[in-house]
Amino acid sequence: MVRLITHNLLACHAKGCTTNNFPLQFKDVSIELREAEFNADFLKGLLPRIEWKALVDAARQLGDTSLPLEQPEMVDDEFLKNLHHVLLEMHIEEGAMVCPNCSHVYAISNGIPNMLLSEHEIA
Amino acid sequence: MPAPTAVTATTISSDPQSYEDEHVHAVYDEIAPHFSSTRYKPWPIIARFISSIPAGWVGLDSGTGNGKYLPLPLDRPGEIWTVGMDRSRNLLSIARKAGEGDVVREVVWGDVLGNPWRNGSFDYTISIATIHHLATSARRKAAVQRLIQSVSPSHGRGLIYVWAIEQDGLSKRSIPSEGTEDDTQNPGQDVFVPWVLASQSPKAKPKARSKGNEDRLPEQNEISKPPGEAAEGEPQPKVFNRYYHMFAKGELAALLYEAAESLGLEVGPKPTDQITT
Ligand SMILES: [Zn+2]
Repeated sequence: MVRLITHNLLACHAKGCTTNNFPLQFKDVSIELREAEFNADFLKGLLPRIEWKALVDAARQLGDTSLPLEQPEMVDDEFLKNLHHVLLEMHIEEGAMVCPNCSHVYAISNGIPNMLLSEHEIA
Repeated sequence: MPAPTAVTATTISSDPQSYEDEHVHAVYDEIAPHFSSTRYKPWPIIARFISSIPAGWVGLDSGTGNGKYLPLPLDRPGEIWTVGMDRSRNLLSIARKAGEGDVVREVVWGDVLGNPWRNGSFDYTISIATIHHLATSARRKAAVQRLIQSVSPSHGRGLIYVWAIEQDGLSKRSIPSEGTEDDTQNPGQDVFVPWVLASQSPKAKPKARSKGNEDRLPEQNEISKPPGEAAEGEPQPKVFNRYYHMFAKGELAALLYEAAESLGLEVGPKPTDQITT
């Protein structure tokens, strides 16, 4: 699946593409919303290691504006609920992710992103 | 002709990449449903490792197969997230739905030699019964490098499992004794491990409910019906030869050591074959 939790980890790995290769940009995507079990301990533990700007930008690109541009200092329930929804409930089912640097296209099909490169394309 | 379930020695006859394509990737794509039905139970040592991971951590299961480790730990569902990566698209379709209920897992189609992650973005990584499918020492080392690069340099943890030549006495497999296991330049042994697909019938119910041998390598291949006992008119079993590199004693530790050093890391106490940190 590509949810934003995974998108926040993925980077382009095409040969020679080592700068500005994150975050990948969504293109022509279709999204499905599926409820996921809320777990506050997970979200609080993860929070310090999220690439925040990448997450907020991606969420906005997908039409969700619930997250603040800056990570809040005080974490309340409403914020955690929004974060939960953005990270774990928006499934990108079809479409592609494009590298902002080299424009390599990683297709998403049936919810599974294809991050394979042929051997000569690997850095 | 050896029996179709015997392990046989092999040599890499073409370039390693196309060799793996033929004797690993193509095989797993073809046997995916049957393979998955025999691999439902996590090995305890890996379950224990995952149980030790603190809340909020995100991990990579490199070579996730049917994703049986993705739902763990069962007693703390959703406290950590493991993202599964595999080379087999058919296994990933199964991994996506791994575990009880209709929880959808995060899976990515990728290769253990690729590096499609922000460096150091994971808190932990596991690679179970995967690296032994790579056909040269250099490729196995590169896969270990990728694993090290994927986890946080400050707190990352990893667990790698491969098939070793030296088995505990209970293993049912007989290992060909010829070969190079004492050769320090080229340790270990390259073998074919057959997978027997007994029936192509979609109604055939996978038997494969072996008890007690799920917690160690090598994988125990369950065969629904021994070849030769197939009744008249039934389709003959199809045998797939999967390539494995069986690791010599100390080989995995040495590989880890080399991989870490080549990345400019200082290695603490020399790792053993069973590394849990
Ligand atoms: Zn790129």
